[in-house]
Amino acid sequence: MGHHHHHDEIFKLHTPDFRQLNKKLDRRTFLTKTSLGLGALAMGSLLGRDLFGSSPKAAAGAAAGAEADILKALPHFAPKAKRVVYLFMSGGPSQIETFDYKPGLAAMLGQDLPPSVRNGQRLTGMSANQSQLPVAPSIYKFNRHGKNETWVSELLPHTAQVVDDLCIVKSLYSEAINHDPAITFFQTGNQLPGRPSIGSWISYGLGSDNHNLPTFIVLVSRNGQKDQPLYARLWGNGFLPSKHQGVQFRAGGDPVLFLNNPEGYDGKDRKEMLEYLTKLNQLQNSAYGDPEVDARIAQYEMAYRMQTSVPEAMSMADEPDEVFDLYGPDSRDPGTYAANCILARKLLEKDVKFVQLYHQGWDQHGNLPQAIAQQCKATDQATAALIKDLKRRGLLEDTLVIWGGEFGRTVYSQGKLTATDYGRDHHPRCFTMWMAGAGVKAGISYGETDDFSYNIVKDPVHVHDFQATLLYLMGIDHERLTYKFQGRRFRLTDVEGKIVQGILAS
Amino acid sequence: MLLDIFTFTGRLHPLIVHLPIGFLLLAVLFDLLAYRPRYAYLRAAVPLTLLAGFAAAALACGFGYLLSLSGDYDAGVLGRHKRSGIFLAIVAGVLWALTIPRIRTRLQLPAKAFSALLAGLLLLTGYAGHLGGSLTHGDDYLSLAVLTAQKRALPASVEEAFIYEDVVQPMLVKKCGQCHRPGKLKGELSVQDLASLLKGGKSGPALVAGQPEQSELYKRITLDPDHEDFMPAEGKPPLKRSEVAIIRWWIAQASAAGGKKIGELKDPAAIQAQVAAFLGLGGTAAPVETVAGVEQRINPDIPLQADQQAIARLRQKGLMVRVMLHQPLMLDITLPAGSGRSINEIKDDLLKIGKNIIWLNLSANGFTEKDLAFLQELTNLEKLRLEKNPLGDGISAHIAALPHLEAVNLNETRISEAAVQQLAQHSQIRRVYSWKAGK
Repeated sequence: MGHHHHHDEIFKLHTPDFRQLNKKLDRRTFLTKTSLGLGALAMGSLLGRDLFGSSPKAAAGAAAGAEADILKALPHFAPKAKRVVYLFMSGGPSQIETFDYKPGLAAMLGQDLPPSVRNGQRLTGMSANQSQLPVAPSIYKFNRHGKNETWVSELLPHTAQVVDDLCIVKSLYSEAINHDPAITFFQTGNQLPGRPSIGSWISYGLGSDNHNLPTFIVLVSRNGQKDQPLYARLWGNGFLPSKHQGVQFRAGGDPVLFLNNPEGYDGKDRKEMLEYLTKLNQLQNSAYGDPEVDARIAQYEMAYRMQTSVPEAMSMADEPDEVFDLYGPDSRDPGTYAANCILARKLLEKDVKFVQLYHQGWDQHGNLPQAIAQQCKATDQATAALIKDLKRRGLLEDTLVIWGGEFGRTVYSQGKLTATDYGRDHHPRCFTMWMAGAGVKAGISYGETDDFSYNIVKDPVHVHDFQATLLYLMGIDHERLTYKFQGRRFRLTDVEGKIVQGILAS
Repeated sequence: MLLDIFTFTGRLHPLIVHLPIGFLLLAVLFDLLAYRPRYAYLRAAVPLTLLAGFAAAALACGFGYLLSLSGDYDAGVLGRHKRSGIFLAIVAGVLWALTIPRIRTRLQLPAKAFSALLAGLLLLTGYAGHLGGSLTHGDDYLSLAVLTAQKRALPASVEEAFIYEDVVQPMLVKKCGQCHRPGKLKGELSVQDLASLLKGGKSGPALVAGQPEQSELYKRITLDPDHEDFMPAEGKPPLKRSEVAIIRWWIAQASAAGGKKIGELKDPAAIQAQVAAFLGLGGTAAPVETVAGVEQRINPDIPLQADQQAIARLRQKGLMVRVMLHQPLMLDITLPAGSGRSINEIKDDLLKIGKNIIWLNLSANGFTEKDLAFLQELTNLEKLRLEKNPLGDGISAHIAALPHLEAVNLNETRISEAAVQQLAQHSQIRRVYSWKAGK
């Protein structure tokens, strides 16, 4: 924006419009602006970690004090992971058909779940009124795999091949029993909407490693059963500056809407327009100091860079056949989970810090045997391929892979139990997730559940513990990454969370 | 509830107490100035100022009494402070009474004598105030000893350090001394010196020589932080894990005694890093830790500082220099793929901060093994990415001896399978990536 232009006079604060606007400067805005000098905050993520770099803008906003101090202290630990790919299995995959092997259940087929196991704990309204809670063993077999002879379901033959790279946690538990609060809890640390997603916290705390792409990118599978909805607030920035929100890349067509120039409008026009727009926004910013203006400026600039970087990152043209073979036949079909796994790997290669995939369709209240087989078929090969691909490229060194849903499923059948069919209700008291790669032990199982996969008997891991551990691996002390909003300091783990030391690689 | 109001009001004493000091000082000032004809009119203000001082002093006495009920103060100092404070209030009252015209005319007190009395009042104010300060900040806060005290010289090495005198004593005073010291004595314990610790407090002796688990002091600092007996109490910053380890070692290995040099005791290595970190010795760093309970062992050879100009120049040339840890200063450096930079443009600056570089990514930049000979000087490297560079087998010689190197990425280089095997077997490098290499 260095060049001067004869139209510059129009960017003065004396136009009637601006004066009109000035009158609207309300008390709240005034207080916020004068007491905090928020102008520099939005720059935080790019400058915060830039320990030695200083910019005029950062200097001008020295008043941003407390915020800047919090960001300046990062990272709190030497990080193990530079990037995260979180494979979110939305709907709540059954632990009983996948990783939590309970051979003893076969003998109890159809018997009522002993009351001593449930011990009066609540059920959802969907199965609370059943006259019986018949125990439903997995109809799928389990086999031992890998050096440590880990039990893995026959539904996951590809995942079984990489089991030596996985850190399987069988003792996750959540506080929420329904999808929306449970998934919101996992993503934001709170069951009520409105707080920032994990990826947003990481973007806010650690900034970007690739200034041409968003720090937090979201890919939603097209081929998952849309049984439970997903919504953008799950990857939303909450009260953090809005540039930290997850950016969803769509399947096929334009990955990001409205990124292409309109017809007859070339890149030079676009650049010039953006330069003027930035000037206008900066005027607005100097008048009001609203951090959202900074965020908007940054977003426009990011969008401009993304006009080149996104098509490049999303292009599959350079991928050899061997890669598609590895991820499975679906991977040639844009928008499938498998194709998204390849994209995730490409984005990670470009140092995108947080990539989150969502695959819906795990909410199997009925017809579970058939539905879960279909879900596993759609995801198993690509998931394992992602691990293998990251590993051979050396990226598992500093990339953390996470697989899991928002809760598990009940050992008893929801609805009628037959020889070939049953359903399972939501079960937040224990479920399985796995992690792989940077900083976590490979080839272990952590935590144990009882014989019914109903209660945890060893090493429980709360959702906040998982989040605390994830942040730790990225170099963040979950108790120290806070953001003050409406008079209170918030953090991802609220007021809880303990790092799960037992899964950390030494 | 009533008690709470008393406690709260009592805590206002340190605030209120400054009012009489100010008023009485002002009275003295007015009285002195009034000897000059120019300020003679000020004499008329003395009675009112004294009255205000008297009233404020009385109020401060009341508040001070409430504060003293909360206990935890050295009885001797407290008693003197109380008596001198009350006496001060009375004297202020009497002096005010002397200014009442009826009394003044009856007594016929000369102006100079009155001024002398006022000066006496000033001295009394100073004495009572000093005692109050000692109660709050400790006897030694404002004493001649502070002026004449010799600071203990920093020991030259961990081995030379006296475990109690150089390490434990200052640590306890810093972390516990605000409440447990002569003059405050919470729980009747002082951590000021060894004798006080051995004497102990309300719960008995703080130490049992050689037995950390039996020692009240050690028990209290290792309880669950939510336990009501946990120390430090009231959310004051707890001891770090390394500090707890030092105290444990001192009780176990030095029998909780003084006058013992670390180097002359058993197993000094066990505590070497923690003590080095505590004393800030020699520019090397020890385990980094947090209250989150996770301890990371950090290579002590990583410097605490780095050449910031070199970093700035590297950044200017488009390298991404990220801080992995602030203390010691660990850096993660990436040269963007296809940057077009020759190695000579960046090598010197990389070497200037060589000991700080922990992760380095020079992939896909057309470097040959000759270009990368300098890597052998980056002795603190843990992860190295060299993939997609035209590197031959010669690269092994430059990296095989790096003592901390854990993983090296040689994917899509020209290194041969044999050289990879050689590197994997004959170095401490745990993971060598060589996918699509050798072509």
